[in-house]
Amino acid sequence: MGLELVTGNHAAGYALAAAGEANRSARGTACGIYPITPQTEIVEFVSKYKFTKGRVIPVESEHSAMGVSLGASLAGARSFTASSSNGLAYMFENIMVAGFYRLPIVLTAVNRTLGPPWNIWADQGDTLMLRDFPWLQFYCETNQEVVDSTLLAFRVSEDRRVLLPSLVIMDAFIMSHTQMETDLPAQELVDAYLPTLNLPHQLNHERPTTIGGLAWPQETLSQRVEVDRAMLAVNDVYEECRQEFITIFDRDPGAPIDAFETDDADLILITSGTIASTAREVVRQRRRDGMKIGLIKMKMFRPFPADDLLRACENASRIGVLDRNYAAGMGGVFWHDTKAAFQGQRDNVLIQDYLTGVCGGDVTPAMVNEVIDDLAGRTKAERPMWKGIEA
Amino acid sequence: MIEIRIHGRGGQGGVTLAKIIATTRFLKGDSVQAFGIYAAERSGAPLQAFCRYDDQTITNRNLIYEPDHVIVLDPTLVPLGITSGLKPGGWILINTPESPEHFGDQFTGYRLATIDATSIAIANNLGTKTVPIVNTALAGAVAHMLGFTMTSVEKALEHLGFVGDNLTAAHQAYQQVNMNAACDPEAITVEHPVIPKTFTPGFLEGGGAQMPRIITGQWAKEQPDRQQMVPPCNHVCPAGNDVQGFLAAMARNEVDAALRTLLQSSPFPSICGRVCPAPCMDSCNRIHLDGAVNVRDIERSIGDLGHAEIKPIANRDERIAIIGSGPAGLTAAYHLGRLGYQVTLLEGGDELGGLLRTGIPSYRLPREVLDAEIERILLLGIEVKTGHRVSRQGLVRLANEFDAVLIATGLQEVRSLQLGLDDTDAVVQGIDFLDQVNRGEVRVDNEDVIIVGGGNTALDAARSALRLGANSVRVVYRRTRAEMPAISEEVDQAIEEDIAIDYLTMPVSMKPLGENGRHVLTCRRMELGEPDESGRRRPVEVSGSDFDIECSRMILALGQSQDMSVFPEGTEVRENGELIGLLEKPVYAIGDLATNDGTVAAAIGCGRRSALHIHALFTGEQLLSAQHDDGDVVRQDAMRMHLFEKQARDEGMAITAEDRFQSFTEVHQGLSGEPSHEAQRCLSCGVCNECDRCVTYCPEGVLTRVGHEFIFDYAYCKGCGVCASECPRNVIFMSRL
Repeated sequence: MGLELVTGNHAAGYALAAAGEANRSARGTACGIYPITPQTEIVEFVSKYKFTKGRVIPVESEHSAMGVSLGASLAGARSFTASSSNGLAYMFENIMVAGFYRLPIVLTAVNRTLGPPWNIWADQGDTLMLRDFPWLQFYCETNQEVVDSTLLAFRVSEDRRVLLPSLVIMDAFIMSHTQMETDLPAQELVDAYLPTLNLPHQLNHERPTTIGGLAWPQETLSQRVEVDRAMLAVNDVYEECRQEFITIFDRDPGAPIDAFETDDADLILITSGTIASTAREVVRQRRRDGMKIGLIKMKMFRPFPADDLLRACENASRIGVLDRNYAAGMGGVFWHDTKAAFQGQRDNVLIQDYLTGVCGGDVTPAMVNEVIDDLAGRTKAERPMWKGIEA
Repeated sequence: MIEIRIHGRGGQGGVTLAKIIATTRFLKGDSVQAFGIYAAERSGAPLQAFCRYDDQTITNRNLIYEPDHVIVLDPTLVPLGITSGLKPGGWILINTPESPEHFGDQFTGYRLATIDATSIAIANNLGTKTVPIVNTALAGAVAHMLGFTMTSVEKALEHLGFVGDNLTAAHQAYQQVNMNAACDPEAITVEHPVIPKTFTPGFLEGGGAQMPRIITGQWAKEQPDRQQMVPPCNHVCPAGNDVQGFLAAMARNEVDAALRTLLQSSPFPSICGRVCPAPCMDSCNRIHLDGAVNVRDIERSIGDLGHAEIKPIANRDERIAIIGSGPAGLTAAYHLGRLGYQVTLLEGGDELGGLLRTGIPSYRLPREVLDAEIERILLLGIEVKTGHRVSRQGLVRLANEFDAVLIATGLQEVRSLQLGLDDTDAVVQGIDFLDQVNRGEVRVDNEDVIIVGGGNTALDAARSALRLGANSVRVVYRRTRAEMPAISEEVDQAIEEDIAIDYLTMPVSMKPLGENGRHVLTCRRMELGEPDESGRRRPVEVSGSDFDIECSRMILALGQSQDMSVFPEGTEVRENGELIGLLEKPVYAIGDLATNDGTVAAAIGCGRRSALHIHALFTGEQLLSAQHDDGDVVRQDAMRMHLFEKQARDEGMAITAEDRFQSFTEVHQGLSGEPSHEAQRCLSCGVCNECDRCVTYCPEGVLTRVGHEFIFDYAYCKGCGVCASECPRNVIFMSRL
């Protein structure tokens, strides 16, 4: 395919379909799917795609979409789906099942504000609602990163050491509906990168079994410990898959965290998604003005890359977290997990939360500059600060 | 980096224009972005799209607040702040037929270009005439304006799959764009747009999401309006009744109002409610749901239960003679009487009513019902002369004496079969038999009676014979039930009463059988051939199929024809019933005599039309509304039938078949339930009944009802047509602006 001008949705659809097609010599691909603004273009793309083996099945709801994908995945198909916002909320019950069933399903989520009031614009609250379940979460910054992270997510999820589903996430409209130049890799390269799926617990009529029936506390606990081990394995597996990606595609899909100018930084901003692009330009400008400032883009949010974060912030005394989400009664979720990572490790760091672009507001360079000025002048952290509103 | 902001309306292709510009630069190797601001993506809503391009990698992910250039797809958006944040010296491209000079110094400090992309799009069949898609034309204009080569835009369009007319449009716009590069950037200072940070209270304070109201202005290409149409029942009613109107009044349980509506056209609701073949019910759209509304029985209830006082509305000197007191003559007398004319009604018999009295048995039309409705007419001050048979000379005298004469003598000539015993007691004419029945002058005890014919007279004679002691009654008819002109319900009731019907049977001869008063009727079987001029299939004899039936007497009910003997020699009857060749005075043949329609309802309609015609002749006042155009009639396909719930029809009640023997008690007893309940089944086809579904479904909230008025707020109406498509009864129409 090569370089194309496509939307984030188109990029996601292409990567999902190419990954599914890459399993054609095994059990093919099969999934359920249901549309919702702003993800609908993904549904359109994969529904039109002519798979050599398997197909995408339109269903009547998100809950059933994941239900179909669960069954397909258990039967050995490479499976995926896509949703957003209240659609994810309706899918929630089966999303948990995918994780605890240890199925390597990849779900493209377009971050959209959970209603009411009805709001279709970017906010991470929908995917962060799923943060406590056995799913990997990758937040993307560009359409290219959507393509690359999707392929990478299949590799990591399907690795025997992991076998957990992944969410590949982009901002509503700012990515999903924005056309940018994007390299859509040829099918041969995707085939080379993604080995056919070989699920250890694939359903087999010669070996009938029940998956997910009643289990005693101790048995269930064992499965949770297994999830924990799988999560712990992700970092190494990710790095292996990343290196292989670079070899095959000649492009870096990105590390779990992207540290920009952090080595000597006293002040560091942490953020995710498209805010990272805007913030990086502001940081670059502030660097030119002489400020010792850096930026960390969190690509991987689950498992939380605490060690990477601590290492990148070695010389920092102040951290500002820009959260495009709000957990009621607490604050930004990225901020909360960042504080937990530093607790007991680096207790002398000031970590302040800024609620930026929550409910879909535009995060401008001016807003990022306000954040930096506030952070630089602080002597102590306070409760999360609302930005973009006179609250 | 160059940043462009596009102002357009949903459906115009603004986002695609951003993509075309971005693709043009992308193919040149630039880093690009193209995106829109999305909301509830309503067609016609103002929207913005954006495009960035740069030879460096673009990192900015914001909306564009301070664009280098602005493109406006719809000139009605110009007043909405298109220059917000626009950098001095930037281009403004407006889709308009006007030249840049037209805008005067409105855009000082900017370069201005105009192009009539709408006309180019329409000329190239892009989009629809209602919503032309102007983006490919504008792409050509943008190319010229920003100094891209036409080739680079062509490549972009082809890359995006635009071919043919789109390329032509782009080329034309590239050539035609009207540019004025003169500007003085120093003359203006641009304020940096402020992103609002206002706190707006939520649900608890009564706030929350509000749908924005959008002035559609010139953008709307169609607009709705309400127009009452013609229900099929009203269209077909021979009497000219406002069927939907009286059903609506009855549905509200306003029986007196319903009666007043009926009396506008017909003086005989109780009679028609019993004997009308009810073509309204045959054309009722409800047939396609769960059966026609039982209009006949509802009309009967209204006639029987309602009260209405009828008085002349004026007092006029003109004297009018009406010959014949059947339904046509009585109706003409009624309407002329109401209009204040001096009416004299001349009846050859000794009682008024014509065939209503002599031809319809009382088990179908009780005498007291007939008498009451005639009495209501006479109370208008009609002068009555019974026993007054009018001869040819009499007619000429009347024409001299009166200002106008209406002749409503009906069909007097009967048809007969020459089978051998025609002039004996063995063969009786149906109308004569029924007249005798109504006078109580005949009995047929222990007789085997054969009736020949398939109309109401045949059935009335058969059922009367049964009630007068007949041993057996048998109807012989040449065609099948489907072709029978008799009211279907009456055929059903006859069958219930054990009357045998021989279809496809024709009598060929009749002979006496000894001296005991019995006869043998030889009949021949028929089969249906090709349709004749009446549209009914013509019966054809089956050879060798003769068979005999024994009977005591045969009653002939083969229809009647006009008796022209009353007219002076040399008169001709025109199409409209007017007699030519008499005096200067208006003399008209009306009713069956003129039209041969054969139903009470048709006679009522003719009587009314004739009366109003006479009135128009004397006064010039046209009270008769124009005939409906068939195209204005709302048929089933124009109704949204799926919106109506089923409700079983009230079939009415009848006395049992056993109770009918030896008795002339009225058989049909009217509705079994409340008349209002059955009237509520009326779908009100083509007549707004203020169901307010259009108001509920208007997505813009611009349609309201105040009292009986529906108010369309056209300033905010986008012409989407939802009100029209949701109207259950086809009274809202879209028209092109």
